[in-house]
Amino acid sequence: MDTFDQKVFIVDDDEAVRDSMSMLLESAGLHNQCYSSATEFLNSYDNSQHGCLILDIRMPGLSGLELQEQLKQRKALLPIIFITGHGDVPMAVEAMRQGALDFMRKPINEDDLLQRTRCALSYEAGLRDKIQDRENVLDKIALLTAREKQVFDRVATGKANKEIAFDLGISERTVEVHRSQVMKKLEVRALAELVRIKIETEIPIR
Amino acid sequence: MYFTKQKISTLVPEQNAHHFLIIIISLLAGSAVIAVMKSVKHIITPDSVVGILALMAAIFMTILFYTLFIAIYKLRKLLFSANRLDTLLKNLPGIVYRCTNRENWPMEYVSEGCYELCGYHSQDLVQQRVLWGKFTHPDEVERLKNTIDDAANNGNPFEIEYRIVTALGEERWVWERGRVVDSVNGKDIYLEGFITDITDRKKAETAALESEAYAKAVVDTAIEGVITIDNSGSIETINFAAQEMFGYIPDEIKGKNLTILVAENYHQQVNDYINNNSINAELNTGDAGCEVVARGKDGFSFPVHLTARKMEHHSGEKIVGIIRDLSMQRAVEKELREQRELLAHTARLNTLGEMATGIAHEINQPLTAISMYSQSCLRFLRGVNPNYNRLKDALEKLSIQSHRAGAVLERVQNLSKQHDSLREEVNCSDLVTEVYKLAEVEAHMRHITIALEISADVPMVFCDPIQIQQVLLNLLRNGMEAMCNAKCLNGNQIILCVEGNSDAVRISVIDSGNGVTESVSEKLFQPFSSTKDTGMGLGLSISRAIINAHGGELKYFNNDKNGATFYFALPIST
Repeated sequence: MDTFDQKVFIVDDDEAVRDSMSMLLESAGLHNQCYSSATEFLNSYDNSQHGCLILDIRMPGLSGLELQEQLKQRKALLPIIFITGHGDVPMAVEAMRQGALDFMRKPINEDDLLQRTRCALSYEAGLRDKIQDRENVLDKIALLTAREKQVFDRVATGKANKEIAFDLGISERTVEVHRSQVMKKLEVRALAELVRIKIETEIPIR
Repeated sequence: MYFTKQKISTLVPEQNAHHFLIIIISLLAGSAVIAVMKSVKHIITPDSVVGILALMAAIFMTILFYTLFIAIYKLRKLLFSANRLDTLLKNLPGIVYRCTNRENWPMEYVSEGCYELCGYHSQDLVQQRVLWGKFTHPDEVERLKNTIDDAANNGNPFEIEYRIVTALGEERWVWERGRVVDSVNGKDIYLEGFITDITDRKKAETAALESEAYAKAVVDTAIEGVITIDNSGSIETINFAAQEMFGYIPDEIKGKNLTILVAENYHQQVNDYINNNSINAELNTGDAGCEVVARGKDGFSFPVHLTARKMEHHSGEKIVGIIRDLSMQRAVEKELREQRELLAHTARLNTLGEMATGIAHEINQPLTAISMYSQSCLRFLRGVNPNYNRLKDALEKLSIQSHRAGAVLERVQNLSKQHDSLREEVNCSDLVTEVYKLAEVEAHMRHITIALEISADVPMVFCDPIQIQQVLLNLLRNGMEAMCNAKCLNGNQIILCVEGNSDAVRISVIDSGNGVTESVSEKLFQPFSSTKDTGMGLGLSISRAIINAHGGELKYFNNDKNGATFYFALPIST
């Protein structure tokens, strides 16, 4: 889990809030960058930057929720912590439904902020790891031959070798050979792991 | 016939020319006689005795002619005189009379004007068919008799005014002056005198008296104080109301100068006003008088309104002053002002309530920043090498934010406090900027921007700043609401505009909503009628009342393009 290339992005239209938050994060050793509007942020962010986003939910121009929507469309992985004011609860609920990681109400407790920010950053790092892992596994799966893939699918769903042989019209022994090949290529030792890989590659990453 | 010195002189004609003429003629006549006698020569003998007799006869004739001519002359004069006297008497505005002082005063002689005076002919009176006493007014007879009898006893002339009733039944006033005259036979007492009709004069007198009584009644019952002074300012009269107002009785104040009733620093103003030409003006020009402060006997001051007029008077110019006590009026004005402010204050509090979310947000921002800056400071202080530069930075910024929060609170406090509602000189630019700050948050939340258009050199205005801010805030919020209702389709800018000229400053709020529809416009300024769901409906009616109290009017019109403009004018501070 590498965190040193992570940055906290702060988007808030109030200069004082922006600046003080930035200073706080800095004092806690967290790299950060400020933007005065959602548009400004979108214009400069590409999905390659890692970290998390602290976002004021109520802003003129492009609002916090709209920015969230835009990032989703871009398939960005940046977790979002929304900052809400009094009376913004409905908006906050909507934000959570749309996949925000967290929200905080003003006035903000600094320790709270730092803790949650760190949380978000480690979450993001973890996420990236998971993605990376999956990439690796998918790469490996791609190396399977067609026949091997067929066998892998059936084995992972719990079918017996005999069944698979009958299904595919090949011998049981052939099935066994394919199966051991799959396990070698996918670098697993037990059936259970095979099953796990199958399941994990079919569930979206959260 | 006996001659006294006086009587002889009356026989001789006064004019010397006439006298001389008569003498000449007499001599000529005498000479004529001698000539006649001489011609009848045979009568004249050388006998000197007869001659002397003839001469004596001539002299006698001369004297006879002389006397005759004088007598004729005198008679003519007498007749002429009598004629003139008659004419004179006829033309007198009254009658000359002679009567006996018996009951009802029977007349012996009455001059011609009699009929005009009493409706009876002189003959009727002289022949005593009618008696003076009979047509004297019954209530007056006794008084007349007493007056005459007194005069008779004292030997003085008498003078009296009394009423008579004419033949036509009219009541007339007469004036009589007469005297007792010695009688020839020593028996009766005669009266001689002059009587004239004074009805007109009496009427005028009565009218004048009534007029005076009326004026006095008016002055006495007036609620206002009425004081008259002479040219030098000395008080001559003071009516009841003024006595009450100032606490003086007339004797205490007569002769004193008017300024004793005026508070010190107003002496000059009162003197100027009284000496000013304006009080010469015609009554119709509506002299506004002056407002000063008066001083009562107890030294207590009170506000009054004074108007004065010059008055023609036989003994010089007088001045009449009317004084109205304004204490009550002032008290009522004060009460009204306070009531108005109470209402406005309530409305302000209500507005603040509606703006609470925005205000809370506005205070939350700096508070958030402050707490983050201070935490940052604590962290910067940790470790072996505290980062003093960043620390300084943080503290400076923290301080700014606390001022920012303070300013918000101050604005809220200004709006929420109840104040004396006194007017003062205000800079329009500052006033409008304050309102801008108050409305900013709400504008922000509605995604509306407020544009300020303040023209240069706008003069200072005279107003109650908090109440005017209240009006502007109300107009701004209304405008923003209208624009939100139109979903800002016509734009999202609301303009706050300030323009000034030499008389007044005009402030307008221009929105880009959907304008004011006819159905709404009827009830726009009515209290408790609102287009908002949660409105109390007082905003515009109170705003209008505030502007009216400042001497202006709150008006509006629908813009050409879209939205409406609400505007009003404020007077310049002089």
